[in-house]
Amino acid sequence: MEKYDVAIIGGGSAGLAALKQLSNLGKQAVLIEGGHKVGTKNLSGGILYSKKPKRGKVFNVEDVYGDAFFTDKPFERKITSYILHAASKNKIYSMDLTAAHDYEANFGYSVLLNKLNAWFAKQALESAQKLGGGIIPGVHVNSISWDAQTGKTTITTDELEEFEVKAIIAADGVNSEVAEICGVRPKFTPSQLYQGVKVVVKVPEEIINERFGVESGEGAAHLFSGDVTLNHIGGGFLYTNSNTLSLGAVYHFDSLLSNPTDPSSLINALIANPYVSEFLKDQIPLRKEIDKSLPQEEQMRVRFAVAKLIKTWYELRDAALSPTGRENLIKSGKYSSAEEIKEKLTFIQDQLTQKYGVSFVTDYNESEYGAKLIPDGKRCRMKKPYFKNILFVGDAAGRGIFIGPRIEGLNVGIDDAVRAANAVAASLDKNNFELKNLGESYSFAVEQSPYTKDMTEIDKDYLKIFLDAAKDVPKDIIGSRYGPIIKLMSSGTFRSVAVKFANILGYDRLLPMVESEDTYVKVPILIAERLGKAVNSTYLPSIPSLAQRIAKLNYDDDKQSHIKVIDNKTEFMKKLTILCPTKCYTLENDQVMLAHEGCIECGTCSQETDWKHPRGEKGINYQYG
Amino acid sequence: MTQLNLAVIIKLEPDFSEGSVSYNPDGTLNRAETKSTLGPHSAVAAKAAFYAKVRYGARIAVTTMGPPMGEMALQQAQQTCDAEELHLYSDRIFAGADTLATAEVLRAGIQKLEDKADIVFSGHRASDGETGQTGPQTAWKLGYTFFGNVIDYHVDVQTRTITIKRIVSLQGFYDVVEEVQAPLPVFIAIDPSYKATFNTVSERLAYEKYQKEAKIRADNYKQYLKVFNVQQLGVDQTLVGLPGSPTIVYKVERIPKGKANRKAEVLDGSNPEHIRKAVSKIKEALSAMVIK
Repeated sequence: MEKYDVAIIGGGSAGLAALKQLSNLGKQAVLIEGGHKVGTKNLSGGILYSKKPKRGKVFNVEDVYGDAFFTDKPFERKITSYILHAASKNKIYSMDLTAAHDYEANFGYSVLLNKLNAWFAKQALESAQKLGGGIIPGVHVNSISWDAQTGKTTITTDELEEFEVKAIIAADGVNSEVAEICGVRPKFTPSQLYQGVKVVVKVPEEIINERFGVESGEGAAHLFSGDVTLNHIGGGFLYTNSNTLSLGAVYHFDSLLSNPTDPSSLINALIANPYVSEFLKDQIPLRKEIDKSLPQEEQMRVRFAVAKLIKTWYELRDAALSPTGRENLIKSGKYSSAEEIKEKLTFIQDQLTQKYGVSFVTDYNESEYGAKLIPDGKRCRMKKPYFKNILFVGDAAGRGIFIGPRIEGLNVGIDDAVRAANAVAASLDKNNFELKNLGESYSFAVEQSPYTKDMTEIDKDYLKIFLDAAKDVPKDIIGSRYGPIIKLMSSGTFRSVAVKFANILGYDRLLPMVESEDTYVKVPILIAERLGKAVNSTYLPSIPSLAQRIAKLNYDDDKQSHIKVIDNKTEFMKKLTILCPTKCYTLENDQVMLAHEGCIECGTCSQETDWKHPRGEKGINYQYG
Repeated sequence: MTQLNLAVIIKLEPDFSEGSVSYNPDGTLNRAETKSTLGPHSAVAAKAAFYAKVRYGARIAVTTMGPPMGEMALQQAQQTCDAEELHLYSDRIFAGADTLATAEVLRAGIQKLEDKADIVFSGHRASDGETGQTGPQTAWKLGYTFFGNVIDYHVDVQTRTITIKRIVSLQGFYDVVEEVQAPLPVFIAIDPSYKATFNTVSERLAYEKYQKEAKIRADNYKQYLKVFNVQQLGVDQTLVGLPGSPTIVYKVERIPKGKANRKAEVLDGSNPEHIRKAVSKIKEALSAMVIK
């Protein structure tokens, strides 16, 4: 049997950081990833933070990857404005939360995981290969066993011969199969999870700059509460990427279960909001129906020519409306100046309109639909994130920060990964993988992380920033329910006492009070109606159907299903016919049936199904993530 | 471990993929307009060689006879198999060669490689000529044991023996797998269904490593490329090109179109009436079937 020092299971941002950190420490590790390429199964809302807490230290992305992160720029834009909106119909009230976004932060970049993780992988692989390790994509781990006598750890996969390792870092995400294999914790329950759905919308770079009032390289993040939530606890977000926008909805899974709503309609509610839709709009070529009286060959020729011209038009326009795009085109020698690019673009556009009857309308251009579950660290972080010689990091350990508008996951995963890698490296040095040496020392290190503190306690300074931002909201709107609390919290001395008292009470007791329909829906609607500005949409976005959204996704279908319904008559499964983001389930004669396998592997149904990640290389391949 | 040396013979072929291929009005291939690419069967041969690189750390040379443009195909093959050496045999004298004259050039070229080839790979056949003769003829000229339709192989590098699996049709049974062992050197014409599998962590790691290396090498392929003309190759001029070809392509005829025995009806997918019609037709067809 082949032997390796460390196996990292899962090639997301956390797993890759673990590989890079272990390599930085001169330790050999192999990373096993299910997707055919790293990054194709990853999805995030899209902001990667680097933090500098006042107390304690966290390990940031640049600590792991060095300056190359800033020179190669695998991210999208540096978020320089962070705004929370309360929405009701066409009225919107905005609060600037940039100070909260900047709180204890070095930076926050918008990211698309396919690109970001591919870059992380490249860096990590280069270092790992020098030590005889590396990344193995397209492999799905199905079991881990320990020899009763020797304690030797053996990993079994669907694709490869068994191999032996000394330690394992489990970075296989929120639906961690490693956790299930070793039984270290039950599956996360709906009350511990959020469901996030997201679409990527294409908008040329300079239009984004103008519309969001930012420079190239800089960006904005907008959060939405109020009626766009369709009465659920959570909210919407809109982040600017280089030449795309990430538009998403993140809701308490509990809240979705109590009032089942189709996830794509939660996205649609955002798109239909006039304030949001104005951000998304763009010029979209609309083809003319082909004249059926023409000979068939001519019909084909026209269809082909129009498709090709539209493709060229999109590509050229994307480049023409981006400083680096123009620069690259000129550098390539195809064009001599920006004017020439513009002329060519006009020429193609004229050809499309005059020769082929294509009209250009105002609409929006959606590229990718995706969904994932997000662990709420306050409620589900593993208190002891280890089992024997396995260390759990990031989503797999249920670690993520959700505090009002503060949403952080990627940075937490990276911090965990570094701590895990350090603990494994120390154990390798001592050749001692006993609990005391490995598991408990990692657990201790994680407890020391300021992020863990954020998951357990209220930070009164952060709260102050948040309250300052909300100071313009008349107290009477917030109502009798929050009035006294707000008043108490607004005064410096009282706040300290109140937060202390609140922290004694603990998040468990406080959360139901704060994370309520009042906070996310009713109060924002009131605010928007009273104080909001009216915004009118200049167009009607043609929102694709779910079928059209799924049709755009790229799958490597597996003949073998990775989902098995356990009981097809439970209430939960019946609700899943609505809550599955790709509507994989239907109800037939009061029984839940798996209708199709357009599964995007979010794991929303995993609570009551025998749900596994697909075999190696199979399943969804995100282009953006 | 002693070194294992491989050669792959490949061919630059018209790219028959959509959008690249162009036809003359009479239906024959417009060679000037059609793009060229590494032939699909050649690509399988390169993949088969890459398997030995991953498993045994083999040294690979890729060779082709063709116009100067042939180096494109060599570059593509190098990206697939991470070759250390690329040979292009290019000379006007080689033009008009049939399979036998081509085999003579390839034979001479393979014997000029830096290291003597232990295994030579070729594709099943070319997608333009489709004779499947060049491989076996080259093997015969080299004096190598020839295996066709190979779907799998393993080498014992120490004893210099190879075990291959080949697909044969036997007494009316198709897809019979024959396992044969032979001493090196051998010539393998790889079956199009060949698929390399790497089943251990170390093989997968090597696979990733060599793939990366292959990309870097292919980006600088000129560094690995050697071009030979007839003199440099030192072949008998009467055995190559048109003079060396006992056969010529005399005439190309279109394959007569088979008579369609189905009645097709064009339906418009956006017309609900048409869809209804299709559904009722399907129902009709299903009802006629006996489902056991």
